[in-house]
Amino acid sequence: MERIYLTASDRVEKFENNLVTVHFADGSVMEGLEPRRLFPVSLLDKYITLLDSEGVEKCVIRALAELPQESRAVLQGALDDYSLVPHITRILESVEKYGTLRWTVETDRGIKSFDIRNRNHDIRVNRDGSIRVRDADDNRYIIEDYHTLDNRSRKALLADL
Amino acid sequence: MNTEMILKNKKIPADAMPIAEQLAGDGERVLFAIVGDLSLKGKYADTVIFFTETALVAYDGVPGESVRYAYADMEEVVSKRMYGNATLSAKMKDGRRRVFFRYTYAVAALCDAAALFVSHVRDGQDLQEELAIMAVTFERALSVCPKCGRTLLHPGAECIMCRSKKKIIKKLYKYIQPQMPMIILCIFLSLFTTFMALVPPTITGFIVDSVFGGGETQYAVFAGIQQWLGNDTHRLLLTMILCLLFTYILQYGVGIIRAYLMRTVGDRAVADLRNDIYRKAQYLPMKFYDKTSTGSVINRIAGDSNTLQTFMLRITQEAVVHFFQMIGIIVIMLALNPSLTLLSLFPIPIIVILTRIFSLKIRPYYRRIWRRWSSVFATLADTIPCVKVIKSFTGEKRSAERFEEKNAEWLSMDLRLGKIATAFPQCVSFFVTCGSLIIWAVGGTNVINGVGGYSAGLIVSFISYASMFYNPVTFFANLSDSFQGALASTEKILDILEAEPETQSESHVVPDKLQGKIEFLHVGFSFDRTKKVLDDVTLTIQPGEVVGIVGTTGSGKSTLINLLMRFYDGYSGEILVDGHNIKNFDLSAYRSQIGYVQQEPMMFSDTIFRNIAYSNPDATIEDVIHAADVANAHGFIVRQPDAYDTMLGERGVGVSGGEKQRLSIARAVLLDPSILIFDEATAAVDSETEHLIQEAIDRLIAGKTTLMIAHRLSTLRRANRIIVVDQGRVIENGTPEELMALKGKYYKLVQIQSMTQEAEAMREEENF
Repeated sequence: MERIYLTASDRVEKFENNLVTVHFADGSVMEGLEPRRLFPVSLLDKYITLLDSEGVEKCVIRALAELPQESRAVLQGALDDYSLVPHITRILESVEKYGTLRWTVETDRGIKSFDIRNRNHDIRVNRDGSIRVRDADDNRYIIEDYHTLDNRSRKALLADL
Repeated sequence: MNTEMILKNKKIPADAMPIAEQLAGDGERVLFAIVGDLSLKGKYADTVIFFTETALVAYDGVPGESVRYAYADMEEVVSKRMYGNATLSAKMKDGRRRVFFRYTYAVAALCDAAALFVSHVRDGQDLQEELAIMAVTFERALSVCPKCGRTLLHPGAECIMCRSKKKIIKKLYKYIQPQMPMIILCIFLSLFTTFMALVPPTITGFIVDSVFGGGETQYAVFAGIQQWLGNDTHRLLLTMILCLLFTYILQYGVGIIRAYLMRTVGDRAVADLRNDIYRKAQYLPMKFYDKTSTGSVINRIAGDSNTLQTFMLRITQEAVVHFFQMIGIIVIMLALNPSLTLLSLFPIPIIVILTRIFSLKIRPYYRRIWRRWSSVFATLADTIPCVKVIKSFTGEKRSAERFEEKNAEWLSMDLRLGKIATAFPQCVSFFVTCGSLIIWAVGGTNVINGVGGYSAGLIVSFISYASMFYNPVTFFANLSDSFQGALASTEKILDILEAEPETQSESHVVPDKLQGKIEFLHVGFSFDRTKKVLDDVTLTIQPGEVVGIVGTTGSGKSTLINLLMRFYDGYSGEILVDGHNIKNFDLSAYRSQIGYVQQEPMMFSDTIFRNIAYSNPDATIEDVIHAADVANAHGFIVRQPDAYDTMLGERGVGVSGGEKQRLSIARAVLLDPSILIFDEATAAVDSETEHLIQEAIDRLIAGKTTLMIAHRLSTLRRANRIIVVDQGRVIENGTPEELMALKGKYYKLVQIQSMTQEAEAMREEENF
């Protein structure tokens, strides 16, 4: 049950797409690993697992901050490729019909409309105060800080919290 | 001989006393006596059956006659329950069956125990022990409320029905007390608003009399204002209107503050109460949950405390206001005109009587509606979780119809209540209005006739006061209903608050790391102390042993575990861990050394991470990941989109039974216990998952004392010792090889299972 944790002397390079190659300090190399967050909600920069094409864990990164700058950038890029969580900057419209909430929002990736099925489960406040939203299709969105939203968005949001 | 000393359920009838005396004279000790209620012919009679150390003596209600049977002459003693009555009989050694006692079900429990007593004593079992069991049975039979005859929760408990209401209020006061300063402030505010509410009718009276009518006023204040404004009626009217406005602003402004404060008080008190109930519920023994459905406990925490909240708000807010208002109005009315006051009080008795009649009439309706509503609810609760069954037997239409039927019953009852409930307030208003008619008639006549002291303004003020007066009257007339409801809720809540928590022993030995040696010494256990679930179990398990516990359903395997976990404490004999009696350990410290993996793993609706870390909230992230890995859970967790942040118990999260089981094993891994217990951990999963779980279990149990309950003997392949439990006794105990050689129960089980396994394997081969 020994788990390999990457250290600062190991290097991570881009392989292709969101896959990376790990050059271990001892000279061994692992290609085509997919970095994934073990805590995609609560710990974004810590505990990144690297899986091979079979989905078997090869090694784990304790914290991105422990790695050298270049490796970190590669991993960050790979992780960002893997997970798409648009930041909601404005709630343009919030309509409720038959118990389903339909939001039209402005995000850092453009404007999007989606349905929220269960406001209790699907709109949640994280411990750090950010708000995580899940739509009917299991896509995720995030509101970093609702204080920075404009009045209208805030009103629309608070009505559902 | 002193018959007071004999264990008995009732006073022994005088006619039977000579028998007891004679027995004592013969030097026989009467151990206990059961006073029955039927003669052998089936007529009601005061009968008695005495039990001594060697014989029983039955008295059938005929003075001077009794029969005596020695235990030694009996082959078999039976308490036979028939329909509405039962008999105690014995098959004698001479082959004849003798019936010596007949009774109704009221004493059947005692006689059942007595039959066991006789056969045990005859078999030479310890007399004192048997007598102790009898004593408990008596205690239980006698634990009824002396006032109302209801069975009590436990012997010596206070009857919930007969508990003095004062005491309940006192208990509730504990929650109100911290809020006292605020309550007193609120009462002062209430006095103020009440006073303000009483001003306007006087002003309107003045407007009618002096502003419109130009008459003299009896109030110095108004006279002063009148003089100051120089009798300008327009300005006077305007001033009065402003006065009214000012009073209203004060009255309602202060009213807002008071209402808010009162609400805070009520809410806080109820929140405290709810916290207390929940905390208490956590520490209640399993025995309590065996007897009380979880639903009802939940209902008490959520529902009943809400009822109380409503009541507290009512009593603190409205009752105070209404009370002062009532007093204030009566004083003012009496000061204005005593005879008119008496007239306007005239409809009040009618209203009070009507309200009483109404509430008496309406109460059964509420109960009926409640019953119909709960049957609607029960239909819901029954059918929704079983929707798979309904669909598979195409019962959708049937279940919809059943629901509609129940709902229709509720509807018709609710409409019937509606008829009465809507008519009543109208009737009250009618009588109130009629009251004002009397004031108009009598007062008005006096005004026209110019009788001294009557003016149009007086009549106007009076009518306002009178109508204000009826509000508090109907309120207080109805208060008793909500008081009753609140009392009922309080009682149910106190039921939890006052229940005995899990017994903590005097000494709190906090065990360090346990070695894991487990000893059962002559352990016996019974849920109702009449039928033994465990009987004289003695066994020793050495540290590090892996022990499989095998037995049929109901044989007592799970009870062994329940006792070891200290879920139940009322057993005889001793259970030692590392040589210490487990009752002497600090309960939570002891339990935290045992890893318990259940058949149906329970997960909280929280993230996977926190569900694993539940067993050890101080664990680091890496500990948790490692535990998940050991439990063969890390792999599937990583495949979840939210990995360790996945919320369990939510839409879209497919965590299967086997995966949950591995999560619960991860919990046990994280706890790093000294003793591990697996209760049918692989009973509900397929063979492949079983393999994964087995692998996890094998890693986990290394070097730890492990108890495994299992139906599937394949689960026990790691066990180096097997214990076979049957009917509460350990019948076989040894290594698997020894037991196979013994060709006993274990051998039979293995035979049966390998046969079914072969059949299963063949079937699987055919299918794949």
